[in-house]
Amino acid sequence: MAHAGIKTVILLSFVLAVGFLLIILSCALWANWLPLLVALTFVLAPLPNALSASCGGDEFSADYDGPGRSDIGRFITATIVVTGFAFPLVLAHSEVIRPGACVMSIAGGALVYGTILAYSATFKQEDSEFD
Amino acid sequence: MSLPRSNYDPRRVCLNPFPVLNIGKHRRTIGIYLAGGLFALANWTFLDAAILSAHAHPPYDEPQLPAPVHVGFTDWVPGICSLLGMLIINLIDKDRVRGEEGFGDSGAVWRARLILFIGFALMAGGLAGSVTVLVLKYVLEEYAEQYTYYGYANVSQNVALMLSTIVLWISQSVGSEYEYNLSI
Repeated sequence: MAHAGIKTVILLSFVLAVGFLLIILSCALWANWLPLLVALTFVLAPLPNALSASCGGDEFSADYDGPGRSDIGRFITATIVVTGFAFPLVLAHSEVIRPGACVMSIAGGALVYGTILAYSATFKQEDSEFD
Repeated sequence: MSLPRSNYDPRRVCLNPFPVLNIGKHRRTIGIYLAGGLFALANWTFLDAAILSAHAHPPYDEPQLPAPVHVGFTDWVPGICSLLGMLIINLIDKDRVRGEEGFGDSGAVWRARLILFIGFALMAGGLAGSVTVLVLKYVLEEYAEQYTYYGYANVSQNVALMLSTIVLWISQSVGSEYEYNLSI
């Protein structure tokens, strides 16, 4: 899918905007800006994978340290994603934020992260056969 | 006469023709993701109890009745033990523990096994300690259900940390063989 057209870009940016809108609404409606951390969490989520992929060097130098680098990238990514879903739940459980804000920030975070995943899956580089 | 290649060998009747390599690769990735998710889930379960305890308020019908118990430092100790154990277990080179490949002397294998044992002992100690805290601090005092939740969250934190370590260990030892074949 190298030639995913401009419609995909527009659709993805629209979904991303809806996600951020939901998160900001969940903060602004109840004047409690703690759920904004969810957006930060989900934006940070693909960072460890990207770092471990781009710092890996070529395939000859990567053989010496084995697969540990991509492992820790994946581990930290999964940790951050679960953190993004768990954080509003914990806040709502201890009655810091309302349940409505919890639901809206989780939905917005899922939209943001889904957009990032879909973007990286659609516009993946051609050398994806071996990873 | 040349022998047939082993994966096409017609004498092997019970051969599973399913391609193993792809599954193994994805199993490793999925296992790592699962371990990371379990790790975060464990810590958030306990942090939920801690935040809930910090925000605990008296019931609305009896406002002068304070919360009888809070999450204190003793609740944090088993989780810290489990975290240390997980760190130690994952810092050890798996090949050294197995004692193959002629790494150094045999004393290195012995030391690696000793440190691995310390790691597993820390994890088991964390699990046992969380059960101890649950029984001694919450169950025996017969608190209400919203306070014994702190103890149950502690136990589930340690169980999930142990599961995360096990999943990480299994997925790393499954995938290494495939990576080795690929690099050759």
